[in-house]
This record gives sequence, structure tokens and C-alpha cells, in this order.
Amino acid sequence: MAHTGTSARREFLAGCRDEAPLLLGVAPFGMIYGIAALAAGVPAWLAQLASAIVFAGAAQLVIVQMLAAGAGFVPIALTSGLLNLRHVLYSASMADYVHHLPRRWRLLLAYVLTDEAYAVAVLRYQQRHAGEADQAEQADSGTQAGGMDQVADLRHWYFLGAGFTLWAGWQLSTAAGLLFGTTIPPEWELDFAVPLTFIALLTLLLRERAGQAAALVAALGALAFAALPYKLGLVAAIVLGLTAGAWTVRRLEHAR
Amino acid sequence: MSTTTLLLLLALVGGLTYLYRYAMIGLFASRSLPAWLHALCRHIAPASFAALTASALFVAGGEVVFAFDTPRPWAALVAVLVAWRTRNVLATIGAGMAALYLLKLLFPT
Repeated sequence: MAHTGTSARREFLAGCRDEAPLLLGVAPFGMIYGIAALAAGVPAWLAQLASAIVFAGAAQLVIVQMLAAGAGFVPIALTSGLLNLRHVLYSASMADYVHHLPRRWRLLLAYVLTDEAYAVAVLRYQQRHAGEADQAEQADSGTQAGGMDQVADLRHWYFLGAGFTLWAGWQLSTAAGLLFGTTIPPEWELDFAVPLTFIALLTLLLRERAGQAAALVAALGALAFAALPYKLGLVAAIVLGLTAGAWTVRRLEHAR
Repeated sequence: MSTTTLLLLLALVGGLTYLYRYAMIGLFASRSLPAWLHALCRHIAPASFAALTASALFVAGGEVVFAFDTPRPWAALVAVLVAWRTRNVLATIGAGMAALYLLKLLFPT
């Protein structure tokens, strides 16, 4: 059906369009990452490659921050491996929407399943009812035989459009940071933007008591275990923070 | 860390991240997420960012150093206040950097 092709393209472009405003928020992180990577001594080509193979802003910032602090292989792998674990949640949340797709589609969509692409795509999937007028209109202009489900199925193109836009924005802003980074004198201390970014994100995340307990204990732990080699103290601090968070959740549940 | 080691590290983290993303839509598509994993994930980001911020500000060369005679802790404090009041990421980073530059200008070392 020729009509499916144009609808697919329409979904893809709609995904690109809806993801675009988020790039305003993402681009500064990409640039900060690029600049901080150079400051940490990462070769530019490798910093750019990392944006393609890791493709997770927070983890990439954590990696360069830890490299700059002289952390070893194992602590960095453990910390960023833990931090990225949240993607399993996104994956679980998307499972019902994409389980019918062929494996090659799921392999592709998994690659673009990042925070910001997830945020946009999950809204499109949840809009099912709100979008029915739109879908009915499309069905009217095409063959009726396809029915609602076939139109609904094309939302993976929307997901791909959102993911692709984010991917392109992330690569370009990384490149901009790397280009910019070589010209900036170290006195500007732009590497300080990384802990500032963590402070900003932390404030947004600390809404509930258990999360606050986890953060406080992890921060104190980072100081208490500062002397551990290879920055392993950071891993210990995070694990201790998670324990404190879980303990607080349990205690609040008992108090109820 | 050598470039080769770093490349291996990035490949490992990248591969692991991809597996996370593919896990529930591919590998374990027919299963649901265990509750403990759900609970664990909620606190990973706050714990990680807090540990890294504390370490970036107050740990130098494996020792705890409260360098309150340098601009960074104070600039971070300004950032915390702005973050708390505005809940705006870019405003927080901007205010923190501005405070750092201002302090460096006012108190040159």
C-alpha cells in the first residue's frame, strides 16, 4: 500500500518535530560533555565515539567526571552501569507497545531508547484515545480495510523519528563541545559545569523522602570513603545511599 | 587510563546500556519487571549525582578537603539555591558559573 509509506513518513516527521524542542535542553549537556571530556584528557575522536556507543548523557558526564578525578576502570564501569539501569524501566514501559514489531525494529528502537526519546514517544503511545480523531481521518483518506490497528501500528515510526532527532542532536552538540573545547582556556573552568549539572538534576529528583535519604547518605559516604583507591569509594557510597533509600521506603511503609 | 583501556570501558558501558534498553522489549519481552528492580532504580540517580557532587567539591587526591577559601564550594552553594528556587537546569548551571567567575574576579589568588 502506497498510503502506508506516506503515513509512515508522516509519523516519522511528527516524531522529529515533537522531539526538536527537547534539543534545546539536551544540546548544552552535549557541549558540556564534549568540553569536559577534553579537559579530562579523552581524545576527541573517542569522546565523539562514546556519544554514539553509550548514547546516554548522564552516564557520559559521570564517566568524564570520574576520569578527571582519576577513577579506575571498575569503579567507572560499576557507577555508569548502575546509573543506566533505569533504561530497563523504559524498556519495560515500552514493551507492550512494541512487542508485535519484528526483531530488527526492536533492535533498532532499543538503540534510541534514551530518557528524552522515551519521554516523547511514550506520550504518543499513551495518546491513543486522544489521537483517534486524527487516526479516523487518516483511515478515511486511505482504505477502510486497514482499520484502526494498522494506522496505530505506525507509531514506531514516530518513536524512531524522535529517537533519530535526539541522536543527531546529541552527536552534533558533542561535536560542537569538542570543537569549542579546544579553543577555551582552562582558566574558564568549564569542567565545573559538570558538578553544577549534577546539582541541578539532583534538585529535580529529590521530591520524596526516600530519595532525599539516599542522596544524603551517598554524599556523606563519598566523603567517608574518599580514601579508597580508584574512586571505589564512590561505588560504596552509592550502594550505601541505595540501602538508605530502600530502608526509608520500608520504614515509611511500616509507619503508615 | 590508556586510550585502549578507555575504549574497552566505553564499549562495555555502551554494550551494557544497549542490553538494558533491549532487555524488556527483546530479551525478556514476555516477562514483567521484578518489583525490587523498580524500587532500586528510583534512587540510583539521586544517590549517584549526590555522591559525585560531594566528591567533586570536597575530595582531592583521596582526601576530604573543605576548601572554603576557594570559589568552587561557594559557587556550588549559589547553584544549589538557584536550583532550589527555580528548578531550572540551565539557570542553575549559568548561576553557578557566573558565581565562580565573580568570586574569582573579586578574590584573585
